[in-house]
Amino acid sequence: MDRRQALKAAFLAPVAAAPLPRAEAGDDADAAEVFRAIDRLEADVATRLRAIARALPSAKALAGSCLADHDRHRAARERLRRRLHLAKAAPEGREVANALALDALRSAQEALVYAHAEGLPALGDPVAVGTLARHMVDLSRHLTVIDLWIESEASRG
Amino acid sequence: MADGPLSPARRRLVLDLARAAAVAPAVLGFLDGSVSALPRGAETDIAILHAALGLENEAIALYDRGLARGLFPAGLRDHAAEFRGDHLGHRDTQVGIIEERGGRPPAPLPSYELGRLASGDDVIRKALLVEVAAQEAYTALIGQIGTKDYLLSAAFILVDEVRHMTVWRRVLGLRIY
Repeated sequence: MDRRQALKAAFLAPVAAAPLPRAEAGDDADAAEVFRAIDRLEADVATRLRAIARALPSAKALAGSCLADHDRHRAARERLRRRLHLAKAAPEGREVANALALDALRSAQEALVYAHAEGLPALGDPVAVGTLARHMVDLSRHLTVIDLWIESEASRG
Repeated sequence: MADGPLSPARRRLVLDLARAAAVAPAVLGFLDGSVSALPRGAETDIAILHAALGLENEAIALYDRGLARGLFPAGLRDHAAEFRGDHLGHRDTQVGIIEERGGRPPAPLPSYELGRLASGDDVIRKALLVEVAAQEAYTALIGQIGTKDYLLSAAFILVDEVRHMTVWRRVLGLRIY
């Protein structure tokens, strides 16, 4: 059972309290760790999107739209850090393996979505939860777009 | 596709569908903006759970009707069946949480006013409206949830609702990025 299946099984059966694989930020993460994990995973996705857009002009519009959302999210996270009295974000430079692989982009995007979902309970602040939940909506949409892209590539053979 | 508060049109849509799903007045007040925050605590969680169950039951009723009448076009039936299964899972999860807390989950309504459903286009447009309403309601309410277990469940439910909404938007040729 992979992490996604385990998570889904666990959230569909909360009373059974199935053990979860540990998230990048950790199941008992504090807000600072959640923000750091999101910064790191967002940088990973951004590096892949830029590489794919450079190699594949037809992906430029999607990459540009996703990266614009990242910029907006990052600015909002900085405001939340100030609100929660957390240290400012450190710049995240990323080198990634298989930068042009769509399935690797998908995995990175999924990890970013999950870091938001699993991070919400650690925030302890309704405004921060609401803000990161709206970011998660954008990122879940990106994930679905990537899925649809992969499906259409597969159907083309 | 910026984040931020609901537009008036979106808010009306969410409220119409929430009322049709018999969502509790306190939660409707928060969704319509007449209440700025719900009190933190077990009662608010239960009110949100009841509201969410109302929306899930409405979505299940729509997919049931669309699938039973063969309204979803052939290439989209698998999506409809999968999304129906997701909503059943969301319902069961939230029923489990209510029962775990000693509450009694609300039963589905005897019938739902789903409007005119005579074609594939009708049912997909209605499915999109129901998914948008669910996504908007969960997004608006998630910051009001007080307990970590329900907050985590609601986050994963929200991820599913966005996926459903995005697929139907793409089917209808609407912008998805």
